[in-house]
Amino acid sequence: MTEEERRRFEEQDLKESVSRRDFLKIVAASFAALATAGCKLRPPKEKILPYVEQPEDAQPGLARWYASTCGGCSAACGALVKSRDGRPIKMEGNPEHPLSRGGLCARGQATILDLYDGQRLMHPLSGGVQASWTALDAEVERGLAEAARAGKKVRVLTETVVSPSLQAAIDAFCRRHGAEHVVYDSMSCAAIIEAHGRTHGTAVLPHYHFDRARAIVSFDADFLGTWISPVEYTKAWTSNRVPDRDGLMSWHAQFEPRLSVTGANADLRAALKPSEQAAAILALGRLIARERGWKGEMPPVLPHSLDESLLKRAADKLLAAPRRSLVVCGSQDPAAQVAVNWINDLLGNYNQTMDVCCPSFQRQGRSGALEGLVREMERGEVGALVVAGVNPAYDNELAGRFSNAMKKVKFSAAVSERQDETASLCAVTAAASHALESWGDARPSMGVESLFQPLVSPFFDTRPALESFLAWAGRPASAYDFVKARWQREIFPQRKEFATFQAFWDESVRRGAWPTGLVEKPKPAFKADSLKGFSASPKPSAGALEFVAYPSVALFDGRQANNPWLQELPDPVTKVSWGNYACFSPADAKRLGLEDGRMVSLSGPAGTAELPACVQPGQAEGTVSVPLGYGRTKAGPIAANYPLVKFLPIERDRPGGVDVYPLSAQPAVSVAVLSGSSELAKTQTYDSMTVPFTGQTRDVARDTTLSAYLTQATAGNSAEEAASSNGLWPRHKYEGHKWGLAVNLSACTGCAGCVVACQAENNVPVVGKAEVRKRREMHWIRIDRYFKETDGPTGPEVSFQPLMCQQCDNAPCETVCPVLATSHSSEGLNMQVYNRCVGTRYCANNCPYKVRRFNWFDYAHQDLLQNMALNPDVTVRTRGVMEKCSFCVQRIYAAKFQAREDNRRLKEGDVVPACAQSCPADAIVFGDLNDPQSRVSKLARDEHSYRVLSELGVGPSVFYQVKVRNKDEEKA
Amino acid sequence: MKTLLIAGILAAGPLVLSAAAQPKSVTPFQQHAALFLMKCAKCHTIGGGRRVGPDLRGAVDRHPHDWLIGFIMDPDKYLDSDPVAKSLLADNDGVRMENTHLTREQVEGLLQFIKAASDAPLPAPRTQSEAPTEALAFKVRMPNEGMHPSIPGIVVLLLILALAAFLWQVGERRGSAVAVVLALAAAYWSFGGRRYYHLLGNEQGYSPRQPIAFSHALHAGTLQISCLYCHSGAQRSDVAGVPALNVCMNCHRSVHQLAGESGTSPEIAKVLAAWDGRDGPKARTIPWVRVHHLPDFVHFSHRVHVANNIQCQECHGPVQKMTQMRQAASLSMGWCIDCHREGPGAAPAHWKRVGGPLDCSACHW
Repeated sequence: MTEEERRRFEEQDLKESVSRRDFLKIVAASFAALATAGCKLRPPKEKILPYVEQPEDAQPGLARWYASTCGGCSAACGALVKSRDGRPIKMEGNPEHPLSRGGLCARGQATILDLYDGQRLMHPLSGGVQASWTALDAEVERGLAEAARAGKKVRVLTETVVSPSLQAAIDAFCRRHGAEHVVYDSMSCAAIIEAHGRTHGTAVLPHYHFDRARAIVSFDADFLGTWISPVEYTKAWTSNRVPDRDGLMSWHAQFEPRLSVTGANADLRAALKPSEQAAAILALGRLIARERGWKGEMPPVLPHSLDESLLKRAADKLLAAPRRSLVVCGSQDPAAQVAVNWINDLLGNYNQTMDVCCPSFQRQGRSGALEGLVREMERGEVGALVVAGVNPAYDNELAGRFSNAMKKVKFSAAVSERQDETASLCAVTAAASHALESWGDARPSMGVESLFQPLVSPFFDTRPALESFLAWAGRPASAYDFVKARWQREIFPQRKEFATFQAFWDESVRRGAWPTGLVEKPKPAFKADSLKGFSASPKPSAGALEFVAYPSVALFDGRQANNPWLQELPDPVTKVSWGNYACFSPADAKRLGLEDGRMVSLSGPAGTAELPACVQPGQAEGTVSVPLGYGRTKAGPIAANYPLVKFLPIERDRPGGVDVYPLSAQPAVSVAVLSGSSELAKTQTYDSMTVPFTGQTRDVARDTTLSAYLTQATAGNSAEEAASSNGLWPRHKYEGHKWGLAVNLSACTGCAGCVVACQAENNVPVVGKAEVRKRREMHWIRIDRYFKETDGPTGPEVSFQPLMCQQCDNAPCETVCPVLATSHSSEGLNMQVYNRCVGTRYCANNCPYKVRRFNWFDYAHQDLLQNMALNPDVTVRTRGVMEKCSFCVQRIYAAKFQAREDNRRLKEGDVVPACAQSCPADAIVFGDLNDPQSRVSKLARDEHSYRVLSELGVGPSVFYQVKVRNKDEEKA
Repeated sequence: MKTLLIAGILAAGPLVLSAAAQPKSVTPFQQHAALFLMKCAKCHTIGGGRRVGPDLRGAVDRHPHDWLIGFIMDPDKYLDSDPVAKSLLADNDGVRMENTHLTREQVEGLLQFIKAASDAPLPAPRTQSEAPTEALAFKVRMPNEGMHPSIPGIVVLLLILALAAFLWQVGERRGSAVAVVLALAAAYWSFGGRRYYHLLGNEQGYSPRQPIAFSHALHAGTLQISCLYCHSGAQRSDVAGVPALNVCMNCHRSVHQLAGESGTSPEIAKVLAAWDGRDGPKARTIPWVRVHHLPDFVHFSHRVHVANNIQCQECHGPVQKMTQMRQAASLSMGWCIDCHREGPGAAPAHWKRVGGPLDCSACHW
């Protein structure tokens, strides 16, 4: 080709071709047009997979409730489990259960999330690797046979077994292998049992009846929070705490080293060091013995610093209610418990307010049981050990010794849901099913039989503990057959109303629990010679503080440490979530120069723990207390406090808190203040209702005394409702329903059951420690806690106030939303439309109650399996969207639809929001304010009711009843 | 440029001209007919012979008017005490009529319809099954069924015109560029654009192929199977659901082929295969493709709409004529609200009191 030709070609090319840029432009534009027009963007294709054979009861989209029992702890409360499309998604209280009577605590409700915990074992393990059940059973047989051949002991270690069926299986196992069953409780009541052996000759845990008690004195027994059976006790206790007009209200005094939920609700509360507890009990006992004409020898006088006048007042109240009073004590010292039994016997409370003939079986561990076993193990006498349902390598002060002694045990098997601290020391782990996956039963106290009903087949290759023991006992059977057979044998004959066993069984499965016949026995007499063995506790050395390790309301003993709901649940009293801390009294904090979050080191012979400090009013001076249940090493990522939002930094300071079990048996620790600090993840940093700078008090949570209330119903309630109706907008008219809520502050104990109930019902996300520190927690209902300092040794006075969206009539949030994402419904709800919200957050800024929550991130469950626990009836919110309490609008509509289907009107009780359903205190009432006969409208009209910040004129729909404290006249 | 403008107007013309078809109002007779289909047709026919209950042809003349009204409104009371009802019960193998929770007005209407249908001459046997369809083939209320010009549709067209204008300015070979653009517009118009020029995410007209060529026209139309026979969830649950295979097998145990044909239809064979293999290692159900899809932030309850006597066809279109299931309505919020504004039609007074279905929270929670 010549140069000339080439030039011509190039010119031709240039002339004819579209330039590259232009070509791309055209292609892009055409593609965009085609994409928009032809290949329409559509959501991904979805499949519908119907049943092949639809079970009669299964209806997609329709929720059903099944009665079962809560497997959260040995209290064995009744549960109703909501199942949607074959998945259990929510735990609620079962009103037909004789003990819990419709209540369920925060921990119990959170067990639903444990079911979907990806950290659960998915198959049996042998030597840490997957095994088959046949191989595992063979290995267990071999291990046990070998121990027998070597002439070594075989031991079974469990916590309290409330299930008679499981107990029978363990007994059968023990008979076959010559084993011995050792029982211990991480939160023990061994001292009470031992004391009853000494004083009444019957070593049992009494069944306490707080509902029968008119005067209650508790020495460090947190019976509304964590002690034995808190839901049952809360139900019973609150039944006497809402004052009638005739003045019937129980009186409750609490003497304790740290401010517990129970102490926060007491009428008289005084701080009392653990070392002086026995002395104070004896002092109280002497006051009562003198009045009741005690003939025996008086116990010795021990020194204590408690104000005698307080003990005198407690004694007077107890003496005024003979046979209708109750003294309880959480001490681990049998001598102190003996003194408590003595007082109760003097007051005639036996078989009245505390029943030893029909005792409780909820805590059966004996003192020294675990220590005895550890000694046997250390001596190398134990050849085989089966550990079931407990975590002795973590949850007690002997954990370290136990872990070491495990090396001397030739064969060990764990029956566990998780490969926890203990299971990972064992040769084999029989992966146990969750309580919602297995049949079972429970006898929490004499006269109550409760049934576990599986809601779903096991997700993984797991087996109920009952079946494992049956298999190893050489009597393999299904849990269902075994439990059913026991019920046919033992309980069916007691229910004469059923003609056939099938009818009885069907009804049992429907209702979940039965009251069974109680035996009337004469009460055993008090043995006067048991009143001995008292000695003054040694004073801690200078610079040391008395040490109290206590179970927290959220984590209890730590078994649910990998549960994000519970980790983020703020403690009712300290309001701290995520991780533990050391509580100091304000005086000690001042002396040591501590403030919230300052790191301290607690050390004693058993070890050292470094924790952030928390300055806690009500803490006894000279004591330091730390919640247990944290610092687990083998519980999973949540317990280790990983971030829930992917790109946020991992919490490097104290992941998941610190394990203080090693220190827990120590009476005192020395405290060293460290240089660093770690901000507490507190959800409430402001403890008082007094406004700083102005000194003005806003009575947000109102209270009064019983005597004032009896004189005047409006006591403590100032009528400062906004008189003016000069609103900017016309008033709303509510022609149909007008939904409203009433919260009785006298009943609310602050137990936080409603917080978890709401979280489960409304898919409320968990945000993690870093975000809580930025005040970005998402709880739709929170419980505000206020302290009011009082003069003298008592105090502070504590008020709990559950606060959810107040559904204002003149809602400040509604007027500022630029996109009308929040507006008013014809039934008085402030609606929040997620798909319309653009996230300006004006509404949250304008809300006087701070109840609106903003999704700063997409808070997906880190554990994808836990998405299965989401409630399909409620939208999962995305990032950038505001949300808040909706009064459980999904339940309102579900009830409406049902009523329409039944061709009737909505009636009282059709709509029960999640918070009210599970409230163990029955403090929350929901209903129609337009119906003059409804409970809520009656409460709203009551002179005793008020609305928070009503002076703003926002017209809230939530009515609070003034808290009544049963205080003496002079203290009013 | 002028040519372009003209082309644009021509292209947009049909959009503007295809104004919304005015929703036709439903006559009371049609309502009664639909009510019959919803509430009665499960068990009764009119002139079609016995089903679960007796043939209602002439039933209005067999019993006194007031007795009929009382019986239909509260069958339990009559079946327990009234001698006539008791003898009817005995004639029907003791199968009790269920309470349909109808108002007196509705029952009156039903009786009118039954009377009218009884008076109509019995159709010839071949078309017997089609006759009631005809009677019920009223125009259902489909506010969005007509062609609406929508803003995105117009935007797309304007974009294409703008592209043409741009090319006219820039390009050297104007003629071919504009031809390309117009070809694009034409392609858009003929393939899908005509039907899918609505809002993005609006699935109106979506009609995916299903794993089994199931025909609603055959089952609901020709064979007159009540919608609720298969989609029983619509009555009880928020979700209408796709019937479980055992529901199909209620009939297909014996029905293997269209009437008059021999052998097993290949489509029915799929059902039979899935059923026979249900306990086997490869057990699987039929993976139906979802047609109607609401976003997760909207909650729709079938049962309350059924309880309020909203006919299935009001939202799902003339399903009894669809060979392949198709989303007939836009299911957009505006489309829902159109009905909600009119208020619950045949609901009893007390339901109106608690209604308030215009609240955002009626659907968004």
